[in-house]
Amino acid sequence: MPALKPLPATSGIFTGGQQIPKTIKVSHVNHYFGDGELRKQALHDNRREVKRGEIVIMTGPSGSGKTTLLTLIGTLRTVQEGSLKVLGRELHGASRDQIVELRRELGFIFQAHNLFESLTAYQNVNRAAELAGMDRGLARQRIEMLLTRLGLGQRIHYKPKSLSGGQKQRVAIARGLVHQPKLVLADEPTAALDEQSGREVVTLFQELARDEGCTIVMVTHDNRILDVADRIVNMVDGHIRSDVAVHETSVICEFLRQFPLFADLQTSTLTEVADKMMVEEAEASDVIIRQGDPGELFYLIRSGEVDVVVEEGGRRRKVAELGPGQYFGEAALLRDEPRNATIIARTNCVFYTLGKADFKDVLARSKSFVEELRNVLASRT
Amino acid sequence: MARLRKTPLAWKNLTHDWRRLAVAVAGIGFAVLLMFTQVGFQNALFDSQVKLIDDLQGDIFLVSRAKYALAAEKRFPRELINQARACPGVAGAYPLYTELTLSRLKNLAQGSSRKAYPIRTIGFHLEDPVFNSPAINAQRLALRGPQSSLVALRSTRSNFDFPLDDPARLAATPVELANQRLRLAGVFEMGTDFAHDGNLAMSAENFAKYFPQRVAAGDPLSVVDLGIVHVNTGASAGEVRDLLDQILDDRVLVLTREQFRLQEVKFWDDSTPIGIIFNAGKIIGFVVGMVICYQVIYSDIADHMPEFATLKAMGYSTGYFLRLIVVEAVLLSLIGFVPGLAVSSALYAILARATGLLLTMTAPSMALVLVLTIAMCIASGLLAVRKLLGADPANLF
Repeated sequence: MPALKPLPATSGIFTGGQQIPKTIKVSHVNHYFGDGELRKQALHDNRREVKRGEIVIMTGPSGSGKTTLLTLIGTLRTVQEGSLKVLGRELHGASRDQIVELRRELGFIFQAHNLFESLTAYQNVNRAAELAGMDRGLARQRIEMLLTRLGLGQRIHYKPKSLSGGQKQRVAIARGLVHQPKLVLADEPTAALDEQSGREVVTLFQELARDEGCTIVMVTHDNRILDVADRIVNMVDGHIRSDVAVHETSVICEFLRQFPLFADLQTSTLTEVADKMMVEEAEASDVIIRQGDPGELFYLIRSGEVDVVVEEGGRRRKVAELGPGQYFGEAALLRDEPRNATIIARTNCVFYTLGKADFKDVLARSKSFVEELRNVLASRT
Repeated sequence: MARLRKTPLAWKNLTHDWRRLAVAVAGIGFAVLLMFTQVGFQNALFDSQVKLIDDLQGDIFLVSRAKYALAAEKRFPRELINQARACPGVAGAYPLYTELTLSRLKNLAQGSSRKAYPIRTIGFHLEDPVFNSPAINAQRLALRGPQSSLVALRSTRSNFDFPLDDPARLAATPVELANQRLRLAGVFEMGTDFAHDGNLAMSAENFAKYFPQRVAAGDPLSVVDLGIVHVNTGASAGEVRDLLDQILDDRVLVLTREQFRLQEVKFWDDSTPIGIIFNAGKIIGFVVGMVICYQVIYSDIADHMPEFATLKAMGYSTGYFLRLIVVEAVLLSLIGFVPGLAVSSALYAILARATGLLLTMTAPSMALVLVLTIAMCIASGLLAVRKLLGADPANLF
């Protein structure tokens, strides 16, 4: 069954058959600030899904709406239009009590530490554990574990006054994580930290995501920690410009690199190619392309297997079988010819496809393309 | 139990900055002091007005229906005392005479002003058991002589400059009461009140000699200021009172001790501006305390807005913040009450010595001021909590 709207290959929609529950589902969310003539739209038709255990990094210039989206997800603002589901609960029109209850399952890390000066580091962190009704002993163990991991083992019972800015920020991070939240929302969590402790924080995030299934959404401009992201969302002027699953993108890039014409493209170009690819699905025995049809798409097989069948003089001859990571459909695009073979799915398949225009555009940008093309063409004649 | 183990945020926030706490405690203590002064003066006034009643023996009292207060010189015929004495259940009924208008005392001693000042004179039949005061009962003999009387003055700052602690010199002091010589045979204790500067106690016979003008013609003792009735042992004062009320005509009111006290206090409380003034004083103290307490709690909230907003984001409910502020307010009131109480007690002692008024720190007045203080702090806390509930966690990101 074809999808109603083609989905980008890099969105990570393809998970290899495994269904992972979504922590966040944002659909058609619009948000406005101000009233009357001053009313300004801050978010335009935002759609996103975030899976359980994912670490999502949101980037974008200031004023791009990423913080607005973060506060909407965190229930700190009221959803005006559209649907926003967090941990399976609809936020649009949710009651105060529902919101308060949901908030207890979230962990917040703000840019400012907002610690109570009158409480020790331990007590500040314990505010969250108490609210979650954690067993006292367990809470104690976890607070001590977190603070020790964050390099504050010697300062557990210090008051904020005796801590440096970075140390206070780390206490605030421990407070956001202590109650085993299912979703952590963080705003520049590492901005006040040096490289080493920033690294320790994101490593901790990764462990929580892996071991506790905690989903982490953070806004950051800190390039040092981009590598932990499972997904990077880029926002501009209230639009989600790109929403890229990092791992899937790297898989696509690896596959693309095996295509000789793309072999020496820069990673950045490959990523752009990956960005332009769409997902297409087929069931066993579907005909993907038919010999003689005009060529419109370049196909990369993400999963499944296909048969390549050539019809010559009314006889069908199977010339090859292709599997995951292999590609087909390039020849018709390169030479503007009709398809020279028929491709039939052997099993249920998922393809990533690239349009003809995009395909040519990419090739034109490759310096070595012209030579390469010549070589390819030369070797065929 | 679970709540007890939680971090006491209200207490921690309150005690974190000791300078701010000291200012808060001073402010609330001041409000407590203001209220205590008002309550104390009011009680002192009422207590001293009824001091005479407390010093009298007796279960039932007869007063003229027109006598709205002890200081009002409204009298009733002595026959009514005799009628009362004949009533079943009555062990004895005795008259008490008091005089204020005619009772002017002059000190003729060298160096004194020689001016006449008003003093209340109490006359009684020496054999009648009307006084509780051991000093009077012990000095009955001394009162037998003509021109003899006992004197009670407020301890300090009196218009009269008598050597109260030296009986011999006191007796030798030349004084005149209603322009007749008087001998001060001894002293007794009776706290001063707002209407009287002091008291003289003397026999009814002497009383009649000093104040013959009490009645236009005839026996000055034919009209009585106060009838004192003792009931038989085992008889109920209430029942005897009801009986007396039926027997005696409408010229007198028959009152039990409790009713008599209440009537007197009620007069000063309701019918004079005094009650209103003291109540206004209490309200002013309350308002001052509320303003101070509001200021303390409000600035505590204002200084911690991001922290409270963070708690909100974490999922702390409105109810939690209300409880937090109420607890903080109650703590503040308790911390402020203690020094306020200490200073007030000291002030009571100093003023009691200076004025002779009965200023004592009683349990009911402590309870009253404590309740007012707690109410004041909670009220201002609830006013300030609106600021906290307006904390918007959306501004934190």
